[in-house]
Amino acid sequence: MIDLLFLIGDVLPYVTLAVFLGGIIIRTWKWLALPVPTKIMIAPAPLTQPQVAVRLGSELLVFRSLMKADWKLWFGGWLFHVLLGVTVLTHVINIFFPSLWVSAGYGWYEAAGYAGILFAGMVAFLLLRRIVQPGVRYVSKPSDYGLLLLLFSVIFLGDYTRNFSGVDVAAVSTYLQGLISFQPTLPPANLAFLTHLLLAQIFLIYLPFSKIVHFVGWVLAPTRNQRNDARARLHMNPWNPTVDIEPWESYAERYRKQLDELGPGGERR
Amino acid sequence: MKLDHAHPGRKYLLYATRKRDMEAMHLPFPRDWTRENFNLPPNWKEIVLAKLDEVRHKYRELQLFLDICVACGACEDKCPFFLGTNDPNNMPVARQELLRGVYRRYFTATGKLLGSLAGGLELTEDLIRDWYTYFYQCSQCRRCAVFCPYGIDTAVFTMAAREILTAIGLTPRSLTESIAKCEAVGNHMGMEPAAFLNTIRFAEDEIKEETGIEVHVPINKKGADVLFIAPSADYFGEPHWYTFKGYLKLFHEIGLDYTMSTYASEGGNFGTWLNYEHMKKLNRKIMQEAQRLGVKWILGGECGHMWRVLHAYMGTMNVNPGFLEEPISPITGTRFQIAGHSKTVHICEFTADLIRHQKLRLDPSRNKQYTVTFSDSCNPARFMGLIEEPRYILRNVCPTFVEIDPSVNRERTMCCTAGGGLLADETLKLRLQAIKPKIDAIGETGANFLAFICAIDKAVYPEYLKHYGLKIQVGGVHELVGNALVMT
Repeated sequence: MIDLLFLIGDVLPYVTLAVFLGGIIIRTWKWLALPVPTKIMIAPAPLTQPQVAVRLGSELLVFRSLMKADWKLWFGGWLFHVLLGVTVLTHVINIFFPSLWVSAGYGWYEAAGYAGILFAGMVAFLLLRRIVQPGVRYVSKPSDYGLLLLLFSVIFLGDYTRNFSGVDVAAVSTYLQGLISFQPTLPPANLAFLTHLLLAQIFLIYLPFSKIVHFVGWVLAPTRNQRNDARARLHMNPWNPTVDIEPWESYAERYRKQLDELGPGGERR
Repeated sequence: MKLDHAHPGRKYLLYATRKRDMEAMHLPFPRDWTRENFNLPPNWKEIVLAKLDEVRHKYRELQLFLDICVACGACEDKCPFFLGTNDPNNMPVARQELLRGVYRRYFTATGKLLGSLAGGLELTEDLIRDWYTYFYQCSQCRRCAVFCPYGIDTAVFTMAAREILTAIGLTPRSLTESIAKCEAVGNHMGMEPAAFLNTIRFAEDEIKEETGIEVHVPINKKGADVLFIAPSADYFGEPHWYTFKGYLKLFHEIGLDYTMSTYASEGGNFGTWLNYEHMKKLNRKIMQEAQRLGVKWILGGECGHMWRVLHAYMGTMNVNPGFLEEPISPITGTRFQIAGHSKTVHICEFTADLIRHQKLRLDPSRNKQYTVTFSDSCNPARFMGLIEEPRYILRNVCPTFVEIDPSVNRERTMCCTAGGGLLADETLKLRLQAIKPKIDAIGETGANFLAFICAIDKAVYPEYLKHYGLKIQVGGVHELVGNALVMT
C-alpha cells in the first residue's frame, strides 16, 4: 500500500510533469520548425501587429469567432474554459498561497467550490452535446468521448474530495508543498483524493498527444495571426520551387503570323 | 441539423482528365481512367503516404490544423455544400477528417496503436474515392474558417489532398483542360493572338457604336505604364463582356497608358486549385510579361481566385519583382502602399481612388433603372478584405444600392459553389442545391441587378437565378461604372 502511495504520490507526479512540459514543448517546437509558405490570413485581417494582438486577444478572452458560429456552443465552451481557469487558479492558491483564502474571506472559498461543481456540469454538457447533436456525433471518435469522460471523472472526484471525502486539507497542503520543494512526503491515504490525483496525472500525460494541444496551437494559426500585408511586404517561402514556362520568344515564333497582324514586333501601340 | 447518411454527395464526381492532357501537362501517371474506374498505379498507397508526409512538412498550417481540431462542430452548418446536400462528409470538419484520419492512423503514436479508436482511418481505394469526391466538393471558399475558434481552414486540407491526388494521377478535367490551354496558348479559353485581337476590335467597335467615341486598346505595347490583366472570361463571356467594356471606357477616359498582353492574356489561375507548382507556372507568365514589356506596375480586373493569387501568393512566388515600381496612380498621384512589394493593384482600389479624388464625371441616373445589390466573392472578401471598395464605387455610380443580409455576405459570404474547379456541368445539380441559402438572401433584397467582382460568379449566377425563378440581371461593378461614366 505504501509502495502504491509512493508510486502515485511521489514518483508519478515528476513523470507527469516531465511528460506534460516536455510533450508540449516538443509539440510546439515541431510546429515552429515548419515553414509557413504563404499568406493565408482570413478577413477581416489586421494590418498592424498591435491589431493582430487585439484580434488574438479577443479570441482568447471571449472566443469571438465561436460566438459568430453557434451561441449555445459558445456559451458552453466559453464557460467551460473560464471554469477551467478558475479551477487552475484555486489549485495554485491552495498549493502556494493557502493563507489567501483567510484574507479573502470564506465566501470566496465557498464560491470556488460551487465553481468546481459547475465545471463538472459543463463537461457533462459538452459530452451530452456530442451525443445528441447529429453533426458532432458523426465526427466524434471514441477518443473524443474518452477524453471528456476522463475529464469528467477528474473533476467529479476533485469536487468529491474537496467537499465530501473528509480529507485532511492541511495534510494535502503539506504533501503538495513537499512535492514542489522536491522533498516529497507520502500523500494522505484518502481514496477519493488518490484517485483524483491518479486520473489527473493520466490526463496530463495524455494531453500533449491529444487534441488538447489546441490550447497552444491556436496562437500559431496563420489564418488569424498574419497581417494582411501580402502585397506590401515580402513573405518568403523557403521551398519556393523554380518553374519552367514557355518564354515569349518561342511563343512569338509559334504565333508569328498572328502576332504580325497586331503590328510590328507583335505590338499594337 | 439533419444528416443524410446515404451520402448523396457521392453522386457527383468530376470527369477524369484525358490522357493527352495529362501528358501535355507532365502530370504523373498519364493513362486512360474514368471516374468509375480510377485505374490507380500499383504503388498508389506508398505514394499517398509519402506525399502526405511531404506536404505536412511543407505547410505548418496543415500540420497544425491536423493536430488541433477538437471536433467541436462550430463549422458543421457553415458549408454551402453541406447545407445543399445534408451529406455529413460535406461538413468542413468531416471533410478534414477524411485526411486527418489517415494522418492519425499512419503518423501518430495513438493512431498506430489504437487505430479507429483514436480516430484512425485505413487507407483504402474507397477512401481515395471519397477524397476525389469530397475534396472536389470544397470550393476552397474558406467560409468555415471564419467561424472556427482556432481559425482552421478547410482549404488547407483540400489543397493538400488535391496535391496528393495529383501525385497518383487523379485530376479532374474541369481543371486540367483549362490549365493545359493556358500553359500552351496563354489563356483558359485557348484563344490565340488573332482571336484575341478580334475580340478587342469587337469591343472597340461596340463602344464606338454606343458612345460615338473611339477607344484604342494597346496590346503587347512595350514601355506602357501599366500591364492590365483580366480573367479571359471578361473578353469572352456574358455578362462579363459589359464589364470589360467598362474597363476600356474608363481607361480611355482617364487617358491611362496601359497595355494588355496576348502572352499573359489570362488573369485567372486554375492551377491554384491543382497544386502550387501549376499555380506558379501560370502566374509566372504575368510577371515575365511585365518584365519583358517594361511596365511600371500591374492592374488587375474583376476576378476572384485570380486575386487570391495576385494578393496572397504572387509576392511570395516571385520573390523579387524589382523591375517594377511602387504603383502610383498617374491620375491622382496616390501611392498604393498596400501593393508596395508585389506592385499589383485591384481595379476597385484604383477606381475608388479616382472617384474619391473626383477625377471621373459620373452620372448615376444612367443606372436608375437598377436596384443594385452586391454579393461579395470569397477570395476578394476573405483573402484580401476587399469589402468596402466595391460598395464605395457602387454607391457613387448607382442611385439605389441595397445590401444582402451580412450573415451570407461580406466576410461571411456564401460561395457561388463553382470555384475551386467545380465549374463543370457534372456538378450543376449539386451547385443548384448548395446555392439556395444565398439565392434566398439575394431574393429578399428586392434588387434587380446583382453586381459581382468575380468572373465565375458572373458565369454561374444567371443560370442559378433562372432556376430559382428570380428576374435579376447579373453584371460587374465596372459595367455599372461604364454606364455612369460621362465620356468626353
